[in-house]
Amino acid sequence: MMLNNIFIIAKYTSKEILQSKILLNVLLLGLAMAGVIFVAFNFTYGEVSRVALNFGLSSLSLSSVGIAFFMGVTLISREIENRTVYMIISRPVSRSQFIIGKILGLMGVLFINILLLSLLTLLCYGLIGGEFYSTIFAAIIMTMLECVVVLLMICFFSLITTQTLTVLFSLSLYVTGHAISEAKLTTFAMKREFVSWVLEGYQFVLPAFAKFNIKDFVVYQKSLDISYFFNTTLYGVFYSLFLLFLILLIFEKKNLD
Amino acid sequence: MIHYKGISKVFKSELLKKPFVALDDVSFSIPEGEIIGFLGANGAGKTTLIKITMDFIRSTKGEIQFDFDSKIKNKFSQIGYLPERPFFYPHLTGREFTFFMGELSGLSRFRIAEQIEKWAPRFKIDFALDRKIKTYSKGMLQRVGFMATLLHDPKLIILDEPLSGVDPIGRKELKDIIVEVNKLGTTIFFSSHIVSDVQEICDSVIFLKEGKLAFKGSIDELINNNKKQESKIYFEDNGKIQFMQVSLESQSRELKKMLEENKNIISVEPNRPTLEEIFYDVK
Repeated sequence: MMLNNIFIIAKYTSKEILQSKILLNVLLLGLAMAGVIFVAFNFTYGEVSRVALNFGLSSLSLSSVGIAFFMGVTLISREIENRTVYMIISRPVSRSQFIIGKILGLMGVLFINILLLSLLTLLCYGLIGGEFYSTIFAAIIMTMLECVVVLLMICFFSLITTQTLTVLFSLSLYVTGHAISEAKLTTFAMKREFVSWVLEGYQFVLPAFAKFNIKDFVVYQKSLDISYFFNTTLYGVFYSLFLLFLILLIFEKKNLD
Repeated sequence: MIHYKGISKVFKSELLKKPFVALDDVSFSIPEGEIIGFLGANGAGKTTLIKITMDFIRSTKGEIQFDFDSKIKNKFSQIGYLPERPFFYPHLTGREFTFFMGELSGLSRFRIAEQIEKWAPRFKIDFALDRKIKTYSKGMLQRVGFMATLLHDPKLIILDEPLSGVDPIGRKELKDIIVEVNKLGTTIFFSSHIVSDVQEICDSVIFLKEGKLAFKGSIDELINNNKKQESKIYFEDNGKIQFMQVSLESQSRELKKMLEENKNIISVEPNRPTLEEIFYDVK
């Protein structure tokens, strides 16, 4: 019954989001991608497939993180504001089932988005003679993980603060999470033990999104250590579970006024 | 069916402001099989008490007991609830939404389809079930929400202002359905500030005033308790029926005077206040 309720909520959440025509963005991005590849094919010498792959993976990441941001901000807060949550939890459904179902529903949409854009990217890449290797698929999996962490981070903030502050906090953490690994490599940070220690601590506590970005390995066909892939996957999974635990804890005690 | 025992709810607002007492030691019971009207002005605490009943918010003090079969694991499988000013998922159709609610109540898709076939024409919403909810009017939202409330044949239905925003014909239809569902053995607890609706269909009422219980009991009891020591003498004057309001003390004297004046007295009736008059006057 518990899993069944989660599945039902996830199913109708995905349905509601899909019927709101969010996937139109896939169509628009697909068209843009075809346009860029056409331009690259005609005006680039030698590196056409690399440009196509880079553009495809970047738009994949951008659109998926974008959906996670904009749909995630209102995923739970709008349910409370509009009192739609009342109709659901007045049924034999626990608060945890509601939250997990809602999040899985949006994750389903994110995965469909990633799947469609990945297929489109790989199709275009293949058509212009690109060579397939495992790091490309690892990058797609990393994008999925990044989206899940972003979504859960936004859901967490949306439960404890306003929508504007949720966007502000999440955006700040997203940008910082990507910049932190670069910051660690600056001479300023490397020469100061305290700064290095603070940056290391940041990566330990707050989401280190840079870990999920392996596009450089893909585009420049650098070999990716398998242990890096597994460690980052574990990091993503455990960070997501930690955020989900916090969300459930807060929502369980929240007054749904 | 439900026993409220000393329910209090205090909302702590901003740091330097005084906490707001929404409910103050409210105790009453809802008997099984009745239609109970839950009356009170806006801000009296009706919705707060309903939210506490449904576990949406927690009370500061007190407890609520439900008399459901001990075999029932989750009380919500026996409760149907419709919130005030319902707002459902705008991109789902009415049918999808109804299936969503039915599936969450553990019903099979076949049973939900059966229930829709039974109730949709009664709620006059069958024509719009395949339209997206964002195209629905407020009255249509109430109807589809009310229908979803009945899908799992609950033992107890809690309705928060179910008739607000519905036109007079719609109100009559919804009231007829409330009475019909009650006749099947369902207990109905519904809040309203439209006193005439409550008087029309309820067996008894709960009155809240400024977060405190002002009255609980039958409507007749409430009216009799507030009966004025007055009567109305109806008489014919120049072909028109008129009435005179007199105190019980002066009633005989006034009647004698009217007979002497050869007035055609039609009837003498005690001046019973309406529930609405009491509603504004109850202490």
